[in-house]
Amino acid sequence: MAILELHNLKKYFATQKAVDDISLSIEKGSIYGLLGPNGAGKTTLIRMITGIFFPDEGDIFLDEKKFDPLKDVGKIGYMPEERGLYKKMKIGEQALYLAQLKGLSRSEAMEKIKQWFVKLEMQSWWNKKVEDLSKGMSQKLQFVITVLHEPKLIILDEPFSGLDPVNSNLIKDEIFQLSQRGSTIIFSTHRMEQVEEICDHIALVNKGKKILDGTVKKIKQDFKENLFSIGMEQLPLSMNGDVPFEMIGTKDHHSIVRIKDGSKPNDVLKYLIQQGATINSFNEILPSLNDIFIRLVEGTPAARQFQNVES
Amino acid sequence: MHKILLIIKREYLTRVRKRTFIIATLLFPLLYMGLIFGTGYIAEKSRANLHVAVADSSGYFTKALLDKQNALDNSSTLTLVEPKPGEKTFNYDSAGFDAFLIIPALDWQKGNNEIKLEAKKSYGPGSTSLIEAKLNRMWDEIKNDSLKIDATKQRILLSSRLGIHFMNITDPKADAKYANSIGLACGFLIYFIILIYGSQVMMGVMEEKTNRIAEIIVSSVKPFQMMLGKIMGIALVALTQFLLWIAFVFIIYNVTKVSGSAGGVNSLIGSVQQIFTSINIPMVLFCFAFYFLAGFFFYSSIYGAIGSAVNEDVREAQSLSFPITMLIIISIFMMTTAINDPTGPVAFWGSIIPFSSPIVMMARIPYGVPGTVPWWQLGLSMALLIGGFIFTTWFAGKIYRTGILMYGKKPSWKELIKWAFWKS
Repeated sequence: MAILELHNLKKYFATQKAVDDISLSIEKGSIYGLLGPNGAGKTTLIRMITGIFFPDEGDIFLDEKKFDPLKDVGKIGYMPEERGLYKKMKIGEQALYLAQLKGLSRSEAMEKIKQWFVKLEMQSWWNKKVEDLSKGMSQKLQFVITVLHEPKLIILDEPFSGLDPVNSNLIKDEIFQLSQRGSTIIFSTHRMEQVEEICDHIALVNKGKKILDGTVKKIKQDFKENLFSIGMEQLPLSMNGDVPFEMIGTKDHHSIVRIKDGSKPNDVLKYLIQQGATINSFNEILPSLNDIFIRLVEGTPAARQFQNVES
Repeated sequence: MHKILLIIKREYLTRVRKRTFIIATLLFPLLYMGLIFGTGYIAEKSRANLHVAVADSSGYFTKALLDKQNALDNSSTLTLVEPKPGEKTFNYDSAGFDAFLIIPALDWQKGNNEIKLEAKKSYGPGSTSLIEAKLNRMWDEIKNDSLKIDATKQRILLSSRLGIHFMNITDPKADAKYANSIGLACGFLIYFIILIYGSQVMMGVMEEKTNRIAEIIVSSVKPFQMMLGKIMGIALVALTQFLLWIAFVFIIYNVTKVSGSAGGVNSLIGSVQQIFTSINIPMVLFCFAFYFLAGFFFYSSIYGAIGSAVNEDVREAQSLSFPITMLIIISIFMMTTAINDPTGPVAFWGSIIPFSSPIVMMARIPYGVPGTVPWWQLGLSMALLIGGFIFTTWFAGKIYRTGILMYGKKPSWKELIKWAFWKS
């Protein structure tokens, strides 16, 4: 069941087609990565999903009903990339205020804040001000505020930027737990290694259009280049006859080979064994998302601020 | 609606709890009183008590005459001196005098406007006019003697006068003297409130934008609610401050009434009571509350829109808000004209047009409704101001919605107006 469906969303600004006909479907309970280079239109897309912007064209369905920004506020938790809190306001009061704006009653909000503060060891912060916190601490607070009202859909824009590895793991664990409890998480980033680690689905956006969409596994299969890494005691002395692969190079005492079209991994093994090689390991090399990302995005100009919308 | 209340509550409480609010609330009345009494005191102090040497060539000003006036009025001392023949000027400086009055030959029937008073320093009209008055008293005496007018005749000449007592027959309670000062006070207060609290709205919006909390808030409430909540919260802060001041005045008035027996205090209480009886206080208070709130909404929504459009740079905000601040200052100029001529064309137009009506109308109302300000004018002015603030709030809301999430170059007014008419 899809929790969020976007149908042909468009949002044009005066000098930019920020989002140009994007359709997506996000399954309930999944962790969805929204990827793209800077200025691809990710933030605009997210702002439409959170009801900050109205789309010029297209429809948004949340929980299989048409999205109503005013009513559905409580179903969404959004952590923008540019973090923001009132610097001079006490942390406890601030969390209480923002939770109430999301529609929680005062007592509900109080109870949930206390739970989270205990869980993340933040009890002593209650009467401190945000300006007294370090960057990592305020990041943690921001995360708590985002998920406090138990939204069905959590949108996190670069959630780990500025966090040390310990706190990063802490937040990562919380994300997994939230997902297990049924929340859907949209995760916007350009840090690919985190995406591979966390997400099961991704969509790649560039220049306002969706250029790729699917499970991480499938995308890697689609973009594989039939590369294998082979560990051998010693290289065969000579390579005669019908070689089913070509050597690309060596890395850490492993040979990197590309299997020729029409051949299979078994053909490679058979051939090498016939040549008298002793094989220790044989692994497929799948492209990293980073490679795929660079391959797809490369060549597009970084700044596209001044394109003509009328054309 | 519930969410607007939450925003109002936050805006109100964070401001009222601040130490600066409490200090400002206590200090402003003190400063205001200090300003009024202080300037009077300084003016009194800065009046110099001059020792003037008098060289008389007319022969009218005798030592007896001067001594008599010096005894009557000790604000200056005139002493007759005789420059030695051959000496061009009298060295009054080294003789211990501040100034030197040179009276030429005079004809008692014509007088002379060009009598020279020399000094090595400049003295203000506050000091020299006293000497002039003294001189003229002596001149009157000289004329009376020449015309052979005796004391009885002099008394008749001096005391028999005609005077005018102005009465507005449609509103016999209106007293121009008190109306003038009450109107001026009301106009200035509204002026201060709009400027001070209007810029508070602007700074508050800028803070939310630069702190980047705006994006979190607008994912929970509509930008328009966010702006309105802020304006209403700050309006309540201003209102609170006012009620506290009114309460202070009331307490001080009652305390002095009970404890005060000195003549000065009694006359003060007397004049306060006269204000109460000569001016329609409930009417003035009601109109003040209305024009204060409506005027505040009219201007502060525009200030909020400006705050949303600029970045953290205060100078950007100042240059963008300059035209708006000018409108408020022009209103004050119109008010000073209107207060002296409360039924004239400046007063009329100024109190009808929304941008100046909060200040100008408030200056006219103490003169009396419906005597000076007919009901239809008051009604029209209020209706236009309500229409005006609905328009500015709508307009500002449109700019706010775009500006609050827009970073980068400072927009011009032309761009702001374009934002207002964008489709959402």
